Amino acid sequence: MEERKRHDSDRVVLKVENLRIHYATPQGDVIAVSDISFNLYEGETLGLVGESGCGKSTTAYGILQLVQPPGYIVHGSIEVDGTEVLNLEEEALRKFRWTGLSLIPQGAMNSLNPTMRVKDQIIDVIESHEGKQNDKEALRERIFELFQNVGLPNRIYNMYPHELSGGMKQRVCIAMGVALHPTVVIADEATSALDVVVQRIVAQTLVKVKDEIGVSLIVIGHDMGLLAQIVDRIAVMYAGKMVEIAPVENVYANPLHPYTQLLIDSIPSIKERKPLKITEGITHDPRNPPSGCIFRLRCPFAWEHCAEFEPPPITVEDKHEVACHLFDQQFEERRTNALATLANP
Amino acid sequence: MGSFSLNYLLRRLLVFFLTVWVAATLIFIIPRLAPGDPIQAMIARMTQFEGYVENADLIIEAWRKRFGLDDPLYVQYFRFIGNTLRLDLGYSMANFPATVYELVGRALPWTIGLVGIATFIFFTVGNLCGALLAWYRTPKWLKVLIPMSMTFTSVPPALFSLLLVYIFGFLIRVNNNPLFPQVGAYARGMAPEFTLEFFGSVLYHGFLPAMSIVLVTFGFWALGMRGMMVTIEGEDYMILAQAKGLKPFYVLYRYMIRNAILPQMTALAVSIGTLINGSVLVEIMFVYNGMGSLIYSGIANQDFGLIQGTSFILIVTSALAVLIIDLTYPLIDPRISLEGR
Repeated sequence: MEERKRHDSDRVVLKVENLRIHYATPQGDVIAVSDISFNLYEGETLGLVGESGCGKSTTAYGILQLVQPPGYIVHGSIEVDGTEVLNLEEEALRKFRWTGLSLIPQGAMNSLNPTMRVKDQIIDVIESHEGKQNDKEALRERIFELFQNVGLPNRIYNMYPHELSGGMKQRVCIAMGVALHPTVVIADEATSALDVVVQRIVAQTLVKVKDEIGVSLIVIGHDMGLLAQIVDRIAVMYAGKMVEIAPVENVYANPLHPYTQLLIDSIPSIKERKPLKITEGITHDPRNPPSGCIFRLRCPFAWEHCAEFEPPPITVEDKHEVACHLFDQQFEERRTNALATLANP
Repeated sequence: MGSFSLNYLLRRLLVFFLTVWVAATLIFIIPRLAPGDPIQAMIARMTQFEGYVENADLIIEAWRKRFGLDDPLYVQYFRFIGNTLRLDLGYSMANFPATVYELVGRALPWTIGLVGIATFIFFTVGNLCGALLAWYRTPKWLKVLIPMSMTFTSVPPALFSLLLVYIFGFLIRVNNNPLFPQVGAYARGMAPEFTLEFFGSVLYHGFLPAMSIVLVTFGFWALGMRGMMVTIEGEDYMILAQAKGLKPFYVLYRYMIRNAILPQMTALAVSIGTLINGSVLVEIMFVYNGMGSLIYSGIANQDFGLIQGTSFILIVTSALAVLIIDLTYPLIDPRISLEGR
């Protein structure tokens, strides 16, 4: 794979602060996203990872204002280029959608309307935001250009979704997602349902288009290997909390949070067969999270302090934050011991 | 849209004729399972009116011969099938010498008008209400339609006819005249002709019978549509439609109704026959001289010819409706193609 372009802009395009999302159930609210904050910089690709149910998709849908009932946003702030999304009225929000924030769903699934031609589903988004397009020829050219960007042949213009392959549908979703040159694009498991070859090609297309158009991208996924190749920074979520956010090289070469370490360790390797160190599932009740650190029940290094205090995000270096007491200056000794255990298990 | 395959068309036509044949055989057998025959029934009726019928045995014998009722069953059957193939539905035995065609020809336009208008109303209103009931922007008070339509659906149409006759015929009166007429298909003393006045009279007279059909059927379509809409609301493409910031009304008709209506179209074609049968009692209630009244009189008089004839028309209509919806389905659902079937 070609050398990845670095994105070092310091301009924040998306600022999420204290975002909290609950799902109402008869037995009480399930805390899906618990007070997370992060920044997305201009031109950056941010990967959002974590196990199933950790709240990564809910975070994305929260940012997009698409949380479906019984889910609801408890509090928080989502600013896109200075616009507070949560304060937008219905019509203003409708107009903001797709121009401010767009979504690339899992297109191989059922994300396209089965009774509409591909072109009509792209035209409808253009016309609902830019008004009726009278120059049909120009509109066609514009869609052909989008097709070309994502490597789709022009012949699918008049086709229906069921006539396309999974990879093609995914490309249509990418073309649609960037049609209005939004500020931020969120790709939710955009490649998960595809086979590995198509997955890789589609992921590369995604990054290529993103660079050409100059948008910022959040990629949600669980394939750490694939993400490593396309993102600039990775945010690791655990049980609704963001435990670490770091430049991608740091996460793989030097993971800090104990959960990130376990996660990196669980990436399969062809050189050795290793046992899975992390157990599946969240071990606490998501309605009643444990006191202090959310991960302490599964953390190999937890001590009394972790049960008492919730770890704040600690900035260890530029654009790298970790929410773990081990990286608090006052526990340096503990950290050294822990790292030593890790080196010689 | 898929292109047309001749092979599929031929096979589909074969199924159509097979359906009609099996059904025609059934309508030949079933009336003959009952004791007695139309001639005896007719003489019995004549006896009722006139007290005594001279030479009744001779009349019966002559008529049985005339209608071939003495022939072995299989001969009667092949004659029936042969005649049907030539589209000759024979005579009505009770109304001899009127042919079944004449009687059906007189009755059919009225039923087509009544059931057609009722179908148009309940299908559009029912589906629209069903769609709105599932839509998030619909005002909450409209939800009263859900229990209301459930109740209406479980009431027989004839009972509704009674209720409507009572309300609009006796309860609400304008200048001591009923608000809507309760008898006939057009005003007494008028002759069927193509004038605006006559047409208005037909609509005016058809209002109550059509309403009784609409009120009982509308709920079925509304609830079915609502169910489909709720399913569609959970589809992935609905989330994308919301994310795209499309206008709410556009999403409602282009993304939701457009997809939810597909099974409703099939259901409509299948229910055409049931609809006409369902209108039998309504037509009798309103002395409406359509197919319903004709079927009723055929059964009441054990009029084999008439029963066979009217049932045959109904069967052909239903089978034709299903055939048409099958062949045109690719036009409304792009996923269905007739190619290579």
